Amino acid sequence: MSTTSKPPLVASAAAVVTAPRRRRSLGGYLFMPVLLALVLVFTFVSISRKDLDSTESKRLAFDYIVARTVEHLELTVISTLIVLVIAIPVGILLTRSFARPVTPFAIAFFNIGQAVPTIGLLLIFAIVWSIGFVPTVVALAAYTTLPVLRNTMVGLTQVDASVIESARGMGMTKLAVLTRIELPLAVPVIMAGLRTALTINVGTATLGAFIGAGTLGSLIVSGYSGNHPFITIIGGILVAVLALLVDYLAGLAEDFLRPRGL
Amino acid sequence: MSYSMKLARLTALAAGLTLVASACGSGDSGGGSGDLAGKSFTVGSKEFTEQVILGQITILALEDAGATVKDETGTEGTALTRKGLESGEIDMYWEYTGTGFIEILGNSPEDVPKDPQELFDAVAEQDAKNGVKWILKTEANDTYAFAASQETSDSLGVTTISDYAELANSKPEDASLCAAAEFLDRDDGFPGVEEAYGFKLPDDQITEVDLNIIYTALPKADPCNFGEVFESAGQIPANDLVVLEDDKQFFPGYELALTVNDSVLKDSPELEDVLQPIADKLTTEELQKLNASVDVDGLPEEAVAKKWLEDNGLIG
Repeated sequence: MSTTSKPPLVASAAAVVTAPRRRRSLGGYLFMPVLLALVLVFTFVSISRKDLDSTESKRLAFDYIVARTVEHLELTVISTLIVLVIAIPVGILLTRSFARPVTPFAIAFFNIGQAVPTIGLLLIFAIVWSIGFVPTVVALAAYTTLPVLRNTMVGLTQVDASVIESARGMGMTKLAVLTRIELPLAVPVIMAGLRTALTINVGTATLGAFIGAGTLGSLIVSGYSGNHPFITIIGGILVAVLALLVDYLAGLAEDFLRPRGL
Repeated sequence: MSYSMKLARLTALAAGLTLVASACGSGDSGGGSGDLAGKSFTVGSKEFTEQVILGQITILALEDAGATVKDETGTEGTALTRKGLESGEIDMYWEYTGTGFIEILGNSPEDVPKDPQELFDAVAEQDAKNGVKWILKTEANDTYAFAASQETSDSLGVTTISDYAELANSKPEDASLCAAAEFLDRDDGFPGVEEAYGFKLPDDQITEVDLNIIYTALPKADPCNFGEVFESAGQIPANDLVVLEDDKQFFPGYELALTVNDSVLKDSPELEDVLQPIADKLTTEELQKLNASVDVDGLPEEAVAKKWLEDNGLIG
């Protein structure tokens, strides 16, 4: 019974990251931060050594860059938190047997969020709703809910049915099975989904520059609209460094939050 | 290489289509009467809405005067369009005096003459050596401007940039501004306005957005009461916005005029008389309406051009 109902769910959840990873050596842990620090040093040295015009000195001032980076991180973190609060509980609900009939519809609904390009969503929000931080957070969350939801569901459904059965046989309640067996076993897959969401959000938050949310995207936009390629390149480098850093930190969390014995 | 081949093919296609079109139309407009009977021209334009509309207006008016016209409207950017004019690929297109003075002739923004006529004369004189004639200066101005919704303008009592400067100094939270990055960066943009009008808007009252969003954000007055706009934009009347008067004439004039290849104008001096009524009718408000028909109502440029000419009794 359970084997016949599983395949369609897994099939609809394409591109799921499930590969388990071992903890890395110390050198493995240090490589990325050292590389990113070097890139940052190189970037700030090249800014300080360049003869800046008035636009460049405004857009590349250290305080300005820090303020935009903070905006960028706030957007990323808050939108990912919203995704977490929505996608994980909904993912749990949708894998319960009573929710089977509505599961395809729910997935189709969250699919819409990911099918609509974020830039389109941002501009629609700007016209019919508002501009700035809040609509940007909502657009980012709408886009990345699906990968987390999908991974939550896959993580839970991949738990071996015989394990659940024996837990029930030992007298555990359904809730206890969920919290003590299913969720711990699903953590690696759920974390992989969250990590994907975080990284996507760092990149996509750049678009916030179009609707008044600031972010490091401001540097990119300022550079191309005013014909200052140097500013655009610096903006691009900083976004890339931030994305790699966030991905690295999420990787660390993945390594250390994974339940022992997995 | 493949790009230029594509371009060549497209041009050939366009030429072919024009031939077919003019062959079809030759019964009434191509060969017969009219001041420009037997003449043929190539009309160009840049890629954005009002440029294409103006190109179509010019084409229809020339055809109405008996000429055969090739449509080369819609070239990407000032640089390429202008190159087409100098090389003779196109015979004429509508250009802006401010763009001519700064971008094409390479003068500094600080040296732009404040008086529109003086600016036009300066551009016309300097450009003569390049074999380009500036004729038919219009009153239609596509310059930078500040705008607000009618309601905001009324309730805050702001109708000029001087009023705005006063508000920015006394109650900066009411002077909140939405603007695009380029306007905020350029020395002849917002920093220049602040200097010329003597005010400084705090950074937290400035929201940096994409230009096209400003028109729909202003009626909501959230997060900004005022915004940077282009004065001829069709979204200004469509969103019931008012443009603040640049009472110290800070922004350079970007008034439309026809740039024509010198030798073409020598061969067909009647051109000027044929197009003069169009130049007389073109104002910033007319341009806003034309742009709105395309950008807001979604009509094709050619149909908008034809209707405008007919409504104003300029062809028929």
